[in-house]
Amino acid sequence: MHTERFERVKKSTNLHFTMEADEALRKIEDFPSNPGAMGYFYDLFRSVYANGGSLTHKGTIIGTMCVQVPEELILAAGAVPFRLCNGAHAFDQAGAEFMPAKACSLARATVGMLHINRSVHKERLGMVVVPATCDQKRKAGELLREMGYNVYILEVPSSKNSEEARHYWQNSVKRFTAELQHLTGRKITKKSLGTAINLTNEARRQFRRLYNFRKISPPVVYGKDALLVSNAYFFDDKERWLQALTDLNNELELKALKGESVGNRHAPRILFTGSPPVFPHLKIPLLLEQSGAIVAADEVCSSTRMLYDAVAYDESALYDMIPSVADRYLKPCTCPFLVLNDDRRRRLKDMAGQFAIDGIVYQIFSGCHLYEMEQRTIAKTFADSGIPLLFLETDYSQEDTGQLSTRIEAFLESIKARKRRK
Amino acid sequence: MKYFCGIDIGSTATKIVLTDEEGKIAAHTTAPTGSHFHKNAVEALEALLCRQQIKRQDIGYIVSTGYGRKLFKEADETISEITANAAGARNSGEGAGTFRTIINIGGQDSKIILLDDEGHVKHFTMNDKCAAGTGRFLEMAARNLEIEVDELGDYHMKSTGVPATINSTCTVFAESEIISLMAGGHSREAIVAGIHYSIARRISRLAGKIGIEDKVFFDGGPALNRGLVASFEDELMREIVVPETPQITTAFGAAVIAQEAFAAEGEKINV
Ligand code: SF4
Ligand code: SF4
Repeated sequence: MHTERFERVKKSTNLHFTMEADEALRKIEDFPSNPGAMGYFYDLFRSVYANGGSLTHKGTIIGTMCVQVPEELILAAGAVPFRLCNGAHAFDQAGAEFMPAKACSLARATVGMLHINRSVHKERLGMVVVPATCDQKRKAGELLREMGYNVYILEVPSSKNSEEARHYWQNSVKRFTAELQHLTGRKITKKSLGTAINLTNEARRQFRRLYNFRKISPPVVYGKDALLVSNAYFFDDKERWLQALTDLNNELELKALKGESVGNRHAPRILFTGSPPVFPHLKIPLLLEQSGAIVAADEVCSSTRMLYDAVAYDESALYDMIPSVADRYLKPCTCPFLVLNDDRRRRLKDMAGQFAIDGIVYQIFSGCHLYEMEQRTIAKTFADSGIPLLFLETDYSQEDTGQLSTRIEAFLESIKARKRRK
Repeated sequence: MKYFCGIDIGSTATKIVLTDEEGKIAAHTTAPTGSHFHKNAVEALEALLCRQQIKRQDIGYIVSTGYGRKLFKEADETISEITANAAGARNSGEGAGTFRTIINIGGQDSKIILLDDEGHVKHFTMNDKCAAGTGRFLEMAARNLEIEVDELGDYHMKSTGVPATINSTCTVFAESEIISLMAGGHSREAIVAGIHYSIARRISRLAGKIGIEDKVFFDGGPALNRGLVASFEDELMREIVVPETPQITTAFGAAVIAQEAFAAEGEKINV
């Protein structure tokens, strides 16, 4: 009886998810002059999500619950990293069975997805790595363990400013390395780690190329496409992804040379920050661009923050390489789980300058206290420099779309009026 | 003579304002939005034109705003109700600079808009998650008290004792609260005053969050309610300015923007 009911819930949840994914893709594709090379990404999402297809990865898959998990180590141990952070309302609702009504949609949807599709995921995922970052993620880790997943809690310091914190993190990463080798039965060598670092660094180099194209005004690429590219990195085969992004970049380069652009050249240029948008929940970036703005830059962990920084190492002894990898994850981190997060403010200010930003849009998921707490400081920082900030609290449901679009349009109208007066 | 038209399709009422070349209100009308709101809006506009003996081709530009703005295809441009409301308030004769804060109460939301020195939108916040502090809340209350919405102000002004306390913000709970207050022997006057204070308090709290300045401009249909205005004055501890016809401020703002857009287009053609 119980299982019969579960099967029905599972069927309807997955159906709703497919509907959501399909709707999001339609909206994403419904823009004039999409780059031809984006076709790869549209098809990828359509085949994996909207058509109910599945992923084919060789080797052990390691699920990650946050950007703080060093993927180079997973690759070097011969496994495949797979970011589980989920963006679907259907799974958010399924997760409500386990998490408080006021929990963040992202954490709840991730738990919901792993609950509903546990029969596949338990088999596929050799391990689920949960960094002890924000409270919701930590506790979600415990829930997943109760569900029978092989959960590994990756300890993370709550500050990055002291030498002790750095050591603590490096030790944590070392322990994680040992666990990975134990799980896959493969030793991480200088060579395998070097190959992994080269691959991920190359991926990030290409991503930075895309990032730089987004500085061009009038714009050559929409933010919704850049977000889709980085979202694909969550699960796509790294080499294939790298090739597809290289093709996209080459196309954009040509476009820029020919002086072609997308959207209006007076389009307000938006910097997007806050709780991370994950497909299919690209609601706010899409509303912005549908209303005539350009999401020129983002400071979110599902996109730029995930892919911007590269691992810097010059000595190639294994005992030096692992700490270099660890450093890449802590030093540039600007997630608000860190105390004294001045770096985030600095990063946002730099970006606002580099990308000629007209306004900031700050998304928080209801229940995400960390991002909400930082909103005031950041709003103040920008108020001082005359850049308006729109703060939007939302969740994965579509119910607030009408209200959100009124707010967004009013915000863009005030930016345009301001620009005209200048 | 050219006219400019602003049409505000709200959740309960559709407001239409025509301005003349001097930017003065030449005519206005209000009609229920209804479920066939596109048809109703078109009919209301036609009736207004007929009554004023204005020809359709004399309208230089139409700007639509409000929840139904996108579906009014006859408009030359659509604008959000926040921008429109600010434009309406700025041109209401009060003059920019005399106030920097606007409170607007609509049928299903309330907004607080902050203006900069030139009278442009600097910051805004909205309550659109629940009916508390909206026109709908007042309608529900009046219905339960078995009085008309436009009598609420008089009842409030007649109340002498301590206003009754209304705690619920959800209309459903507030409804039963009002019923039990009546059963408990509270006068209608005291209950009405209590309702006004609870709305004013909620909105003041929202206003406190974004930081209000100077005098406060109050518009939207409920601004006609003297009792509500008095409660706002008490809660905000500031002077409140209410325009003559507060329910059409947003539509008037849309007409102002229509005239500006028409002028800008004219320039383009002349160049
Ligand atoms: S928001 Fe912070 S804690 Fe959450 S996934 Fe992103 S980096 Fe991790
Ligand atoms: S959005 Fe906030 S609550 Fe949700 S995972 Fe990220 S930091 Fe945690």
